[in-house]
Amino acid sequence: MKKNFLSCMFSLLLVGVLTLSACTPKPTATPTAEATEAPTQAPTQAPTEAPTEGPAPTLTIWVDTLFAPIIEKISRDFTAKYGVNIVVQPMGMDDVREQTLIAAPAGEGPDIIEGPHDWVGKLVAGGVLAPIDLGAKKDLFVPAAIQAFTYNGKLYGMGLITENVALFRNGDLVPDAPKTWDELITTCEKLEAQGIEYCLLLQQGDAYHFFPVQTSFGGYVFGVNPDGNYNPDDVGIDSPGSLAAANWLDMMVKQGHIKAGVDFDTACSLFTDGKAAFYITGPWNLPLFKEKGVHYAISPIPAGTEEAKPFMGVRGLMISAFSKQPTLAQTYLTEFWATDAAMQKYYEGTLKPPAFLSVLNKVTDPDIAALGQVGLHAMPMPAIPEMSAFWSTMGDAITIIMQQQADPTETFKNAANQIRTKIQEGK
Amino acid sequence: MSQKRGLGGKPSFFFSLGARSIKRLLAPLSDALPRIVFRLTCLAILDGFALWFFWKTVIDGIWFLAAAIAIITLGINVIFLREDLHPFRWLAPGLALMLLMVIYPIAYTIYTAFTNYSDTNLLTKQQAISAIEKEVYLPEGGISYKWTAFRSSEGKFIIWLISEDGQMLLAKPEEPIQHSPQNNPDVGTLDQENIPLTIKGYQRLSRIESVRYLQELSDIEFGLPPDTITIRSLDVAAQYERRYHFDRLKDAIIDLETGETYRAVEGTFTSSSGITLSPSFHAPIGWRNFYRLFAGVAIQGPLFRVFIWTIEFAFLAVFTTFAFGLLLAVLFNDPVIHPSYRKAIRSILLLPYVIPFYLSILTWRGMMNPHVGIINKILESLIKFSPPWLSDPGWAKAGILLINLWLGFPYMLLITTGALQAIPSEINDAAEIDGASEWQRFWYITLPLLLISVGPLLIFSFAFNFNNFNVIYLFNSGGPPMPNTPSPVGHTDILISYSFRLAFEGGRGGDYGFASAITIIIFIVLAIITLFQFRYARIWEELSENV
Repeated sequence: MKKNFLSCMFSLLLVGVLTLSACTPKPTATPTAEATEAPTQAPTQAPTEAPTEGPAPTLTIWVDTLFAPIIEKISRDFTAKYGVNIVVQPMGMDDVREQTLIAAPAGEGPDIIEGPHDWVGKLVAGGVLAPIDLGAKKDLFVPAAIQAFTYNGKLYGMGLITENVALFRNGDLVPDAPKTWDELITTCEKLEAQGIEYCLLLQQGDAYHFFPVQTSFGGYVFGVNPDGNYNPDDVGIDSPGSLAAANWLDMMVKQGHIKAGVDFDTACSLFTDGKAAFYITGPWNLPLFKEKGVHYAISPIPAGTEEAKPFMGVRGLMISAFSKQPTLAQTYLTEFWATDAAMQKYYEGTLKPPAFLSVLNKVTDPDIAALGQVGLHAMPMPAIPEMSAFWSTMGDAITIIMQQQADPTETFKNAANQIRTKIQEGK
Repeated sequence: MSQKRGLGGKPSFFFSLGARSIKRLLAPLSDALPRIVFRLTCLAILDGFALWFFWKTVIDGIWFLAAAIAIITLGINVIFLREDLHPFRWLAPGLALMLLMVIYPIAYTIYTAFTNYSDTNLLTKQQAISAIEKEVYLPEGGISYKWTAFRSSEGKFIIWLISEDGQMLLAKPEEPIQHSPQNNPDVGTLDQENIPLTIKGYQRLSRIESVRYLQELSDIEFGLPPDTITIRSLDVAAQYERRYHFDRLKDAIIDLETGETYRAVEGTFTSSSGITLSPSFHAPIGWRNFYRLFAGVAIQGPLFRVFIWTIEFAFLAVFTTFAFGLLLAVLFNDPVIHPSYRKAIRSILLLPYVIPFYLSILTWRGMMNPHVGIINKILESLIKFSPPWLSDPGWAKAGILLINLWLGFPYMLLITTGALQAIPSEINDAAEIDGASEWQRFWYITLPLLLISVGPLLIFSFAFNFNNFNVIYLFNSGGPPMPNTPSPVGHTDILISYSFRLAFEGGRGGDYGFASAITIIIFIVLAIITLFQFRYARIWEELSENV
């Protein structure tokens, strides 16, 4: 009897679970804001007192966990002023992109996402981003931030902050910033004679941090069409400039100025322990360096045969093409975020170089100002989907050179061909 | 049977199970009715859910899932409505789950392998069409206006429009647009900006108040079609017109502005002159993914080396973990150790199994770092040599096997301990009396008996390690990289991590169609290997009969 009853329950449960799992319920955003002041009286003469009954609309934003609290805090002002609820959903940065690609077409996605601009190519090609019209407010932003979010001639995001690498040095070991790689090498030789083992920290297998070296010898990743768009058919990894950079890297490793096998964690720990003189890194390391009390200084990446240009990454807000409230989402960006007040608060909450000119001009923090100076020469990272062929392939090529497994020229030439094959096969 | 008879006497609120339909037919109606009503109610609820879900998937054009839901729902209905099928009611939940969780994913993977489903061809055709159809344009001579909204207490809207040259309009949904509305008696006095302070029956919304109703407003077409005005932003409303229209008969998108026709070509709407519309959608492309796999230059070079290492890795991973797990099991199965200590030791040894592998692998990676890793620091100071775990191919492979040993031995310890305890001690005692040495007893009695019970688990373990992406990818992402290969690959890449590189680090981002094609091939390879292994395992069984 008991057994039979249990088995009945069990099969019922399974069927129930099945139906429930089959129907993923929509996350119910609970509008908390006021639904007040139903206009019972006849329309009055005063045009300001309008009825505000009915459920308040809600915009959902998916944000990197790191930035979620500050975006939520600033958005409270928007809710207070306009009566529109903002639901900020924190998640891992890569999850924002991956989940948006999956959830948005299924109608379960957010209205707005926060992320770096180099997602744009993939997200637009996947059809999940809607263009943004900033109108005249475009001029209020750092030009590179607008350029970064522009893809195929349309703007797909509104930049909030910019990020780029610079040359960090240990101020105790090196008082003056080197202006060229030759100056840096001279300093390295002096320091190594004094027993400093690690001169320049360059993260192994990392094409992003190598890019300023590449450009300092005139190398490039993808060529640029006359219309300003990147051209995936012009791969610059085996251009003379990039090959010169490869040979420079080989030479630096051979002379011991750059050590192989240094990844992000290793580099951080070596630099904060005062064991390394120079480190090519970005603003994300500032909190750590401050916490550990490193006496650091920031300067532009030294020049090779020409001025070094690091990649610029811009982080900002993008609107989902599947948002059911595109006009409202757009207004949230243009009316609320593209203002001095919101951008100033965001800068104070993140301490990253702002993408909003009026706020950038008011920055007094010397680190942010120094990074911003380097950023003036930075190039927006290409956002074309073909970049996914570049990152890992180029990373492997850099690792091969750093580990001294093959000739640098051959390695870069081969990497260029690998990327060309991938792009060809992906078409 | 006695249990069932006991139940039959009382009215049951649950549909009955088991073979007793005759009994039920004889039972009084009052007895069966609540049961039937309950069953039908449950079915109706289930069908309601299923129908809703089915409809949703059909709208989104997810045909495969829709078909799976339809089949499952139909099956459940048939099983629960037909009396002669009622033994299957037991199996229904299991069958439904199997269809949804096993058969459907396999079928979908096979289907995907023949499509160009990827990051750039992500949407279904319907989704792509509706995205393209959303696009609007301002026709030549179209005027844009500044707008002010008025709202009635019933939630109806009316908008006051002012063009750049000062022309005023008043627009309501589904009514002709009123020109020169300032003469309308309902309209109150105008302010400095030529916006009326009041309109009879409506309240004026300020700019800030409009935001709250903005989405509602912008979804409304003001005016009588075809002369309609829509709101595009907080500042602008205009006579926008739809740019594209999908013609179902022609299966093509027509550009309403230029008259150009865009036909669907392998997931992209393309005009005769080759201009394409974004976004693309996923569409069948035949055998092209398989062709790319077998004919692409990227695959030919390093594939053989990767395959050999995959076999080596899977075999060595099983062998090392089994050997070490068995050694520990035998050691701590010794009755010399007090049982409570034995349990404590075993629990501690099982710890690596409970720590999330993700953490373990990254910790190991840190400990093996050539510059700051603790293992290398110690080795350096002890023997003046620190193995280049991350940069030398041989050491990298050794490192991976070492980590895998740490991760995998507790499982082997667990299963071998259980199996050892199941071996009757009489056999060993008898052999001891016959004068067999301890080693002989282990080698000729314990091990063969053990292999019978854990043999299938070892085969499973081989199959698992064959696709053990986590260890490979988290430790060194397949590195160190091989120089001068036609396609990027590392010395420690196994087939599955190499496939990941091919399918997800390709020219246009993630390529799920290609990944599915590779998966199918890997499945076939692994199935063949496993079949041979089971053959071999059967030999063990035969041996055991002689023991």
